[in-house]
Amino acid sequence: MNLYEFSYGIIHWLVDLVNHLWYWLGDWLPWALGDFFTAVGDFAASDGHLSVMTMLLETLIIVIVALINVLNFLWIFRKLSGRILDFYGPYYVGYRIGGWLQNLADGMKLFVKEIIVPAKADKVGFLLAPIIYVGSSLLILATIPFSENFGLSTNPSGEYVPAGALFAIAAFAIAPFTILLAGWSSNNKYTLIGGMRSAAQMMSYEIPLLLTVASVFLLAGSFNFVDIVDMQHDIWFAIPLFIGFVVFLVCLMAEVEIIPFDLPEAEAELVEGWTTEYGGMRFGLFYMTTAVRSYAGGALATALFLGGWHGPSFIPDEIWFLIKAYLVFTVFMWVTWSLPRVRIDQMLGIGWKRLLPLAVLNLFIAAVVKSAGWV
Amino acid sequence: MNEDGGSTRKEDIERAPSRVDEVPEERLIRALMDSFPNSITDFLRLKDGVVRAKIERRDLHMACRLLRDNLGFEHLSMISAVEYEDRFEIVYHVCSYCNRLLLELITHTPKDDPSVDSVAAIWGGANSQEREAFDLMGVKFNNHPRLERILLPKDYLYHPLRKDFRG
Amino acid sequence: MAEMWVNMGPQHPMTHGLWNLRVKVDGETIVDAEPEVGYLHRGIEKLCENRTYPQIIPIADRLCYGSSMTWSHLYCMTVEDLTGLEVPERAEYIRVVAIEMQRIASHLMWLAAYAGDLGLSVGFTYTMRDREVFVDLFQALTGGRLTYNFPRIGGVAHDLPPDFDRDAIRAVDYMEKRLREYEDLFDRSKIFMMRNEGIGILRKEDAMNLGVTGPSLRASGVSYDIRKDAPYSVYPEMDFEVATHKDCDCYARYKVRMVEMWQSCRIIRQAIAEMPKGKWRVVAPRTAPEGTGLGRVEDPRGEGMMYVVGDGTDRPYRLKVRSPIFVTVSAAPKILVGYKLADVVAIMGGLDMCIGETDR
Repeated sequence: MNLYEFSYGIIHWLVDLVNHLWYWLGDWLPWALGDFFTAVGDFAASDGHLSVMTMLLETLIIVIVALINVLNFLWIFRKLSGRILDFYGPYYVGYRIGGWLQNLADGMKLFVKEIIVPAKADKVGFLLAPIIYVGSSLLILATIPFSENFGLSTNPSGEYVPAGALFAIAAFAIAPFTILLAGWSSNNKYTLIGGMRSAAQMMSYEIPLLLTVASVFLLAGSFNFVDIVDMQHDIWFAIPLFIGFVVFLVCLMAEVEIIPFDLPEAEAELVEGWTTEYGGMRFGLFYMTTAVRSYAGGALATALFLGGWHGPSFIPDEIWFLIKAYLVFTVFMWVTWSLPRVRIDQMLGIGWKRLLPLAVLNLFIAAVVKSAGWV
Repeated sequence: MNEDGGSTRKEDIERAPSRVDEVPEERLIRALMDSFPNSITDFLRLKDGVVRAKIERRDLHMACRLLRDNLGFEHLSMISAVEYEDRFEIVYHVCSYCNRLLLELITHTPKDDPSVDSVAAIWGGANSQEREAFDLMGVKFNNHPRLERILLPKDYLYHPLRKDFRG
Repeated sequence: MAEMWVNMGPQHPMTHGLWNLRVKVDGETIVDAEPEVGYLHRGIEKLCENRTYPQIIPIADRLCYGSSMTWSHLYCMTVEDLTGLEVPERAEYIRVVAIEMQRIASHLMWLAAYAGDLGLSVGFTYTMRDREVFVDLFQALTGGRLTYNFPRIGGVAHDLPPDFDRDAIRAVDYMEKRLREYEDLFDRSKIFMMRNEGIGILRKEDAMNLGVTGPSLRASGVSYDIRKDAPYSVYPEMDFEVATHKDCDCYARYKVRMVEMWQSCRIIRQAIAEMPKGKWRVVAPRTAPEGTGLGRVEDPRGEGMMYVVGDGTDRPYRLKVRSPIFVTVSAAPKILVGYKLADVVAIMGGLDMCIGETDR
């Protein structure tokens, strides 16, 4: 049973329950009022309404599952950082479960903080930038399916978004514009510098990212996530496209802005970079979005390179997908805490001069592998 | 770098350039006395490698130039200003890396006109030290590129290290 | 983009301590710089004119709280020079052990701040953890963790605690193991080298003329160390090497400090092995004669000097402190011009600022 059928079942049951009320009212109330309620009941039971509500419920389920995973990611981030750096990490809040509730506590704290909009800031840009940033990051999550049965689909047979992987990468790439907008509209020299650095970094690392993803599309022959993962049932794409996998991981680290690529928000110079003027939960949303984007990146890496949800069948497919995504994230953490920060001009040099040729080489290898029929 | 962190490679160890090789204390004293027969007085060898001399303030700038250019004193360590009852004394500690000597050069100014020529053009390290002496003691240095207060606020009115400043 | 003055500080995570660095940038490149110090001025020199000689020892500790044993030792040396006091040998050896341990602890704290600023957080926590080993030793020796009040005029406050030599040798062994690890962590990291090589070049002539002393001077190729070239205490009997490096960049300053830590371990071993038995303190006279006294040490940050003028009473007439960082930070414009804004962290971190001694 896939997610669509599951949600459809729930919505159908719910609508049946509520329709008892509407039809009873329609029978009991006289004349036009009764007709009105009967019409409401008919409308609620109609196909169009049911499918819309099903899709809303599906979206809700997927976003909730994704956000719970993001909470896990945040916990792993802080706990693993603590272990690597020789301290405890979250400890007291949620004492018996290893401090897992710390992030909820921090979120609640951020909710009650005062939110200030700077007086001379450009109000429209200031308020709009985080909305688009967070929204586009959550949009990526919606398009990545956890398995053949668990993903956002629009009909009972479980077909997903037609060009899912392409859509996911496109949604990923909206971020540089919003960061530039946020940095500029805060009316602050430092955030402007941070925003421009960030936009330059992200845009220059988009291109190797897209090239490696293009090589995956070439090998798989389709833009659809299910097809890509199905083509990996013999061999994961990470093995013939090893260079591409490494380039993909490095570009993801630059997109998500973690050390060694976090100069735009390097504390040592610019306090918080482009998020300096945001306070309270807006700032918390940025922090959460970093985790959302690293989760999305890990999920993408898993689906495109690491065989998606394939694995021995004693563990369900969705759990395999999550295990692989968590592994990618752990590798990110490991690299983050082992390396110093790269300077902005050195970073752009790496992106353009080293990763781009490697990505092109990878594309060439993918073409060779595909035409020789090895995959 | 070998096992315990030392290095014996020649290129890792370099000497500072010097104009005069191996000037022990007596040669230094003789060189100074020959150049400034009237103003330098009161030579005293304090310890091994440390010599004290007193000089009149009018010849200070020339003497410092001589020390840096001809006698190999590349480094100005410290400029201190001391206030006595009848005079201000400015003490210059100048160090020679190549000859391993420290010269304590003392000059004094009358109480009502505490000003001395600046040596900031000779040794760049004198810049902030002279500003500090001006800030805290009120000694003026002529021809200093920028004689402003450095440690205290720019609009502070007093010179705290003077004996008549009671806080 | 037009040129603009960017204010780094006084409240800024990068500036360790409270000072302001005004930097004129043209895009990302630095065109001019101007440091502003004086936010932490406590008037120590004036304060000392109203305290008796022993009362100034804790104040001298707080001159530079990063390496406080050096400053109180310097003060005691200066007053012993004024009064002509002979310090017993055991006291000198104990002082040397304490100073070299302080040098290692100070360099570890520098490394923690430096690596943390460059983004390598693991460098921060590991070096602070290793510094705890020496801070624990200091707590056993003196009772304090940051400021010690241990040297006295005429010796040290008390003898070594029992088993101190065994613990010190254990600490030094542990430190040498860790130093090898740090060399792996930092020297083999390509990004660390990229951030440090060729950055912040200070040529030899400029370094000597601008009054830069200490590891920054030795990193520019001048082999001058006060412990070797104008020795004091029992340093003539210690066998160690002076760390120099011929590149004048940030990597050279980092390397010189690492080698200094190695040499300090060596000195500690020798001092513990050769320590004689005997008295650890001579009673100093209450009043000091008229005259002057001069003390000169190799502080972890450079050349520290003190000049005291005595006037026959039990309080000094004038105490002047020469702080190495006060002179070095005024050389900052020379080193910073021409590099990028992101290099300010590496360059100013490599100079190891401690504002306590700068502002006194």
